[in-house]
Formats: sequence, structure tokens, C-alpha cells
Amino acid sequence: MAEFEAEVFQNEFLAEGATDVHAVVSVTCTAAGKAGQSGQGEAAEIIIVDTSGSMDMPASKIVAARRAAKVGLGEIVDGTWFAVISGHSVAQMVYPTHPGMAKMSDVTRREATHMVDALRPGGATAIGAWIAAATELFSQVQTAQRHAILLTDGKIEGEPSHALPQALEAAQGKFQCDCRGIGADWVVDELRTISNALLGTVDIIAKPDDLEADFEAMIQLSMSRGVADARLRVWAPQGSEVLFVRQVAPLVEDLTAKAVQVSPLIREFPTGAWSDESRDYHVAVRVPIAPLGNERLAARVEMVVNDEVVAKSLVKATWSADANLTTRIDPAVAHYTGQAQLADAIQKGLAAKAAGDDRTATVLLGEAAKIAHESGNEDTTRLLSKVVDVVDAEAGTVRLKSNIEKTDEMALDTRSTKTTRIRKEP
Amino acid sequence: MPWVGGVCDKGVVHAANEDAMALSATPDGSLAILVVCDGVTSAPHSDRAALAASRAACSHLTAVAAPRSDSVAAAVSYWSDALRGAAAEANAAAVGVAHTLGDPSEPPSCTFVAAVVADDLVTVAWCGDSRAYWLPDEGEARQLTLDHSLGTELMASGKSREEAEADPGFHTITRWLGADSVDHSPEFASQSIEGAGWLLVCSDGLWNYASALTEMRTLLLDLIASVGSDPVPLAEAMVDWANAAGGHDNITAALGRCDPSLRLKRERTSRG
Repeated sequence: MAEFEAEVFQNEFLAEGATDVHAVVSVTCTAAGKAGQSGQGEAAEIIIVDTSGSMDMPASKIVAARRAAKVGLGEIVDGTWFAVISGHSVAQMVYPTHPGMAKMSDVTRREATHMVDALRPGGATAIGAWIAAATELFSQVQTAQRHAILLTDGKIEGEPSHALPQALEAAQGKFQCDCRGIGADWVVDELRTISNALLGTVDIIAKPDDLEADFEAMIQLSMSRGVADARLRVWAPQGSEVLFVRQVAPLVEDLTAKAVQVSPLIREFPTGAWSDESRDYHVAVRVPIAPLGNERLAARVEMVVNDEVVAKSLVKATWSADANLTTRIDPAVAHYTGQAQLADAIQKGLAAKAAGDDRTATVLLGEAAKIAHESGNEDTTRLLSKVVDVVDAEAGTVRLKSNIEKTDEMALDTRSTKTTRIRKEP
Repeated sequence: MPWVGGVCDKGVVHAANEDAMALSATPDGSLAILVVCDGVTSAPHSDRAALAASRAACSHLTAVAAPRSDSVAAAVSYWSDALRGAAAEANAAAVGVAHTLGDPSEPPSCTFVAAVVADDLVTVAWCGDSRAYWLPDEGEARQLTLDHSLGTELMASGKSREEAEADPGFHTITRWLGADSVDHSPEFASQSIEGAGWLLVCSDGLWNYASALTEMRTLLLDLIASVGSDPVPLAEAMVDWANAAGGHDNITAALGRCDPSLRLKRERTSRG
């Protein structure tokens, strides 16, 4: 049985008249077990491979996609429900051949592998239709945990613009989806919309050869998630306002807009499936002012699995006249402060640049360079330096580069939500 | 090749070495402690305070067990607490030196900077104007510490680095350890290690000649190009360079080579 633990890091002391309480809540899950094998129901996995015409240009893309899908099949644990979809102008079943899902076994794995080998490119890119097909397939099996991988090399063409938002609305909460773009012709925003809506990750695979290892890692991780679905429950007192709830490690992800109001004072945020891992959440609450010396509960942060509270923690606020207490920044809060602004500045900066607004782009990317520099986010700084010349990182002065390799700009965009945390080797 | 090393030198101009350092590291690259203390010259016997303080902090930190959780927030918090304890021990040691000297009116005192490298996290605590830098092979360097000095206050009030450094009060420290310390509480900073890089912990005898972050980084890269990346000869080269630049103060340079990829490889090997 999985066990959760929640620990709060904060400076609870507020100066007179202060209202904003910041805390990092670190949640650790142990004994998660394997996907579909921990008594919460079975697991299901769908691999969606883009087989549009562009996957043939160059042919190394479809070759790599076939190989990666096969490696993925090898990692899906026996007994898991699975399917492979070929995505072009429509979503086409690869395995099983009828619209449904199969149970993984030596036999079905061999058959599916054989079918994947026969994938041939041709047609348009209609990602909304592919997502809708996956939602339909998942609905046919009674499983607790559903995960998909979407691989594409192009932007949506060949379906109306409302197809994707509609498909995502129907898919939300039904399965988690990790998205991978290959080559330089896909649109980061499209894939990020999908991964954000479906609690997944998005990344670029610049070299087709890297695809296999990435699929292997993604499916291994998915299979190690023995906790099908957990939610972060935040209770905040009457008259308070939850400013934001952000996951800050291992990836930065703003959960604020995903809140589900459970009761007037309680909101729940989806966190998806869990393996044995730790995640850090930055919670900010604006509380009503209380007189000096008063202690108040600013928030109760709990983890909920199957409607049962499995871990709880308390965020406090104490008003004090002692500046020694109130000016101290909690080291864990300090460690993460700035990181979320960084992702935001990069995304808005690149959007401004794409729109031809160089002035705004320069300001925002300069801001990003400054935050990256101050917070020591070297990985982002390195990526950023491919898009801008950093004139003065401390001051946030940058110059836009005129000749940027398209792939560089995209790598920056997809990576802008990573924190400076190293992910542990599995 | 060791991954941590340092050199503590008298310099050219001063008659005695009042800097001190204490280092400790595990052979597997998972934990290192680097402590540098700079004795305040205007207070007699500050060399003894610096030595006692650095040793007390280092032994306090080596005795601390590794944190049990793999959460980043927990690790940052854990090591910050450990460093707070180390700074308190260091201060007690400096005060202890004053007692053995019969509590002189000008008690011996020193600066303090301590860095812990634990897996992929660097946590530092400091008090005064000794510094710690994170200098990665790729990406932007970062000065982890912010001097507790009038120089910092001058710059905070809008003066340029050049103007501030020209001010006679620039090197006046506003926090220190010792019996007459008004505020010996340390400040903290942390840094996740994503790729290979160098942790540099040093006294002002070194950074005086390369006070801007970019200068320090260039210096390190230049010296690596000439003497290689063994931390001991490299620290020696930094000290030689500062002496050649004038050596007006005692010089301490302590280096840690942090390379997560090597550590992971080692972990994998040890797992068989």
C-alpha cells in the first residue's frame, strides 16, 4: 500500500499588516508498487504515432518512430490494457486492429510489434481526432490508470481549429498524456496545451536516434506509477484567497487554474499518477490581516487518494513585531522563488518574438535571463543564450539574435518549465 | 584525483596568515564541506578565532547525518538548519578564543562562509565578506553569497561597483563572528547542480582582484587551461595569481569539482 508524507517549509511570521503566506509543501510517496497491480484497478497504455506524410521527410523519422514504439511495447507490463494508434488525417487502429484495447502478453506484444513494423506515412496531421480516438478507447476498459504517449512531427493541418480544444475537454481527467515533438515543424504551443490539459510532459526530440531511449523511460515511469490518481486538497479559511498553487519540482507546473471547488473553502488540484517520488508544491495564500501576536491557520494542504486523506500538513500565519522573525525567508521557498516567473517570461517572450514584437520580446527574455541568472538555472540560461545574446545577465539586458536555428527556439520553449532539480535515475 | 582541495596563503604584504580553512569530502563525490574564515586584522589574535571557527563548523557538519528524504525542499531546509548550527558552533569557538585570551577589549573575530555539497545540491551559509561561487562548465555562473559589508550597502544605494570599490569603507564588514559581534546570524543560499561545474569558496584576498562574477569565471577557466582540473594545483594557481596581482591580503581558495554524471556512473557501478 502506497504511503504519502507531506512536509511544510515556510516562515510563518508575518510583519504587521502583511497578508501573503508562502509555503513549499513537499510530498513524498513510497511503496507505490506497479501500475495496475496495487489493488486500485488495472492500468492502460496507448501509444499514438504520427504517420502523416511529413514523417517520411526525412525517412529516418518514421524509422525512429517505429523503433521507439516497439521499445515502448517491450516496456508495457504484462496484463496491462494497451493499444497503438496511427495518426494521420484520421486516427487508425494499428493494434488491436478492431477499435478496442488488448491485454499485454507475449503473444499480443509480438503481434503488435509486427503491425508497428508495417506503419507507412501518408496524409495530414489531425491531433484532435487522435486524442478523441484515445479517449474513446480508454472508455472501453474499466481501469484506474490511463496513460498515453503522443509522438508528432507536424502542426495540426487537416482538421478545424476547434477539434483539438473539443477533444481535450472530453479527454481531461480521463487519461494522462506525455507529448513528444520530433524535428522542427511542430508547434510547441499545441503540444503544451495537450500536456497541460492532460497532466503530462512535453519535450523535443531533436535527433530521431534519441527517441527509443525516451520512449523506454516514459513507459517505464508510467508503469512504475502504482498510485493511479492523487489530488492535492487545499483548505483556506473564510475571507482568504488562494493566490496560486504550483508544482515547482521536479517540473514547474501551475495548477491554479485546474482547481476544482469542492466546497466554499476547499479546492482540489489534480496531480495525476504517482510512483515512488517526491514533488514540491509552492502554495501562496492571501489571508485577512490579524493583530500582532495572533496565530492563524493559513491553509491545510492534504493529499487525497480515492477520496481518502493520505497525508496532511498545515500552513500557518503568525503576526509579529519582531523583524528578526518576519524578514527571514525560508530557504526552501527562496530556492524556488523566481523559477515560475522564469517559465512565464520565456513563454511570453517567445510568443512576442513570434508575433514580430521584438521590443516586448527583448524585455521579457531579458527578464528571463535575469531570473535564470539569479536563481542559478544554468540549463535555461544555456538554452536562452541560443536565442538571445546576454549582454548583462545581472541587469537583464539581452539582444535578440537574428539567425536562430528553429530547433533551438523550440527547445527553449519546451524546457522553460523545468526547474534546476536533477531527476533521480530510476 | 581528489574532487575537493584548497590553499590558504599569507599573501605578500601581511606579516601573518589570519585566514583559515577546513575541508572535508567523501571519496564517492556525494558529500563535501568547505569552510573559509577570514580573521579581522584590526582585532589581535584573529588568526586563532578564524582557525577555531572554521574547524568547529567543519566538524559540526561532518557529524551531521544525510537527510532521509529525496525531496529538494527538505534537503534545502535540512542543510540550511545544519549550517545554522555550524555557524553557531563557529561563533562559540571564536568567542571561546576571546575567553582564553582574558576577554580583551578588542576581541578576535572573523568572517564565515561554509558550503555543503550533498548529492546535487549546494547549500551555503555566510556571515561577512568571504564568498562562495557556483561556476558551471556551461551556463551562467552565480555568486551564491552577498557580502555583509558597507560595499554591498553602497551598491544597494545605487553606486556602481567601481564607485563602491573606490570608497574607503567598501571592505568594512557588517556581520562577523566573535565576542563583540552584534549580528552573527548567517544568511543562506542554495543551488541545484544540473551539470558539471566548480564550487569556489574564498576570502577577499582572492576576490579583491576579480570582484565581478565574470572576472572570477574567466580566471578559473584560464587557470584550468594552464594547470588542469585537479582542485589542489588549481587552487594553488588561483593563490599564485592573487599574489602576482599584489597579494595585499591573506588569500584562501577552496574548490569542489561537482559532476553529477560521474557520480551517477559511480552509483551505477557500485550497484553492479
